Amino acid sequence: MKRLKEDTLVRCPVCEAVNLKKREKIRCHRCDTVIETDPRLKLSKSWAYLITAMIAYIPANLYPMLISRQFGIIRESTIVGGVIQLWEHGSYPIAAIIFFASIMIPILKFLILIYLLISVKYPIGKDRKIDKHKLYYLTELAGPWSMIDVFVVAILAALIHLSHVEIIAGTAATAFALSVFFTLLAAHAFDESLIKENR
Amino acid sequence: MKSVNEELLDDLIICPQCHTLHKGVRINDGAKALCRECGALLYRYDSRLIDYGFALGLTALIFFLLANFFPIVKIELLGHEQFITIPKTFMTLFEQGFYIVGLLCAFLIFLFPLIVFTLYTVIFLLLKLRRGKQLTKELLVLLSYVLKWNMSDIFFISILVALVKLIGYVQIDMGIAFWALLVYVAIDIYLTKQIQLQEIWMLHKRVYEEQTI
Repeated sequence: MKRLKEDTLVRCPVCEAVNLKKREKIRCHRCDTVIETDPRLKLSKSWAYLITAMIAYIPANLYPMLISRQFGIIRESTIVGGVIQLWEHGSYPIAAIIFFASIMIPILKFLILIYLLISVKYPIGKDRKIDKHKLYYLTELAGPWSMIDVFVVAILAALIHLSHVEIIAGTAATAFALSVFFTLLAAHAFDESLIKENR
Repeated sequence: MKSVNEELLDDLIICPQCHTLHKGVRINDGAKALCRECGALLYRYDSRLIDYGFALGLTALIFFLLANFFPIVKIELLGHEQFITIPKTFMTLFEQGFYIVGLLCAFLIFLFPLIVFTLYTVIFLLLKLRRGKQLTKELLVLLSYVLKWNMSDIFFISILVALVKLIGYVQIDMGIAFWALLVYVAIDIYLTKQIQLQEIWMLHKRVYEEQTI
């Protein structure tokens, strides 16, 4: 097996089978899926999704996430505002969860993906290949958890809607959900096999 | 290089976490193969995987349906009783005009989980009956696409977060569906995180190879 070099092999993104990289386009021998081996296409796709996600993240923070109406008094809270409110109320664990899910994870994911996308083309500094793969794996794992805030808003909106007391989702919910959706797409589009050792 | 038999490629495994190349080896029943670089689980060998998989898939499906038909949580607010079910959660978003979020939620917490567990059940059933080689293959491909988008575990945590937010304002009663959802999420985590797709593909190869001999 030593005869086979690692860069002549490619992992099928669908069924994880190992395939030989022969031509530009190959079909996985196990599941027949076409494996895209053109790195430029995958990278531009990933960049495009990532930039869309970052643009959507701006209105997600500016507009209210949650609008509560209590006997005519309307209160709006943004993502950051919601976290601060929870913290002041003393529910520290929940404030921490929302802070991590809605602020830390998206921003870290943007930064990590930007770093990975750049480092694929231009080597920056010394980093180990395995660490970068780990980094990518972690973003894949943590990414979907950003949806917590959207789900919480959906649950609260479904649970509390009386004529006097009502919770409505805000514009930010749409923007935030889209942002998370596109970050997930960006991460899926990224080609792991392009990660190389920089020394 | 091109003369390498494609059959040989089936023995090669690239670690899903750190991308190290491995050569698969035969392991004992119930044993696990771990990555030598990062210790991630590569695959396991379990001779009863088909039975387990089918039973768990079916159980998850039943509990998921239970979780959809009954109220998850009931609250009492100003003398009014309110409850939510999974479909009600995204239907409310539609009613309030949030079509994009509503659609996303409908897919992430209802349609995809339903599809994932129907697929698991059907795939393991087909493997058990040793029928439909091509169909099983196509279903497995479909499964790997949908699997990433199943977010019921995240939804479950969201319910807990939402409830903690409401503590002190309203009286909260857990519905039957809450416990059904708990069981369902537990099976979901076991099936999707513990059983690697790789194992099902290896099983697929084993099952249908025996058939052709």
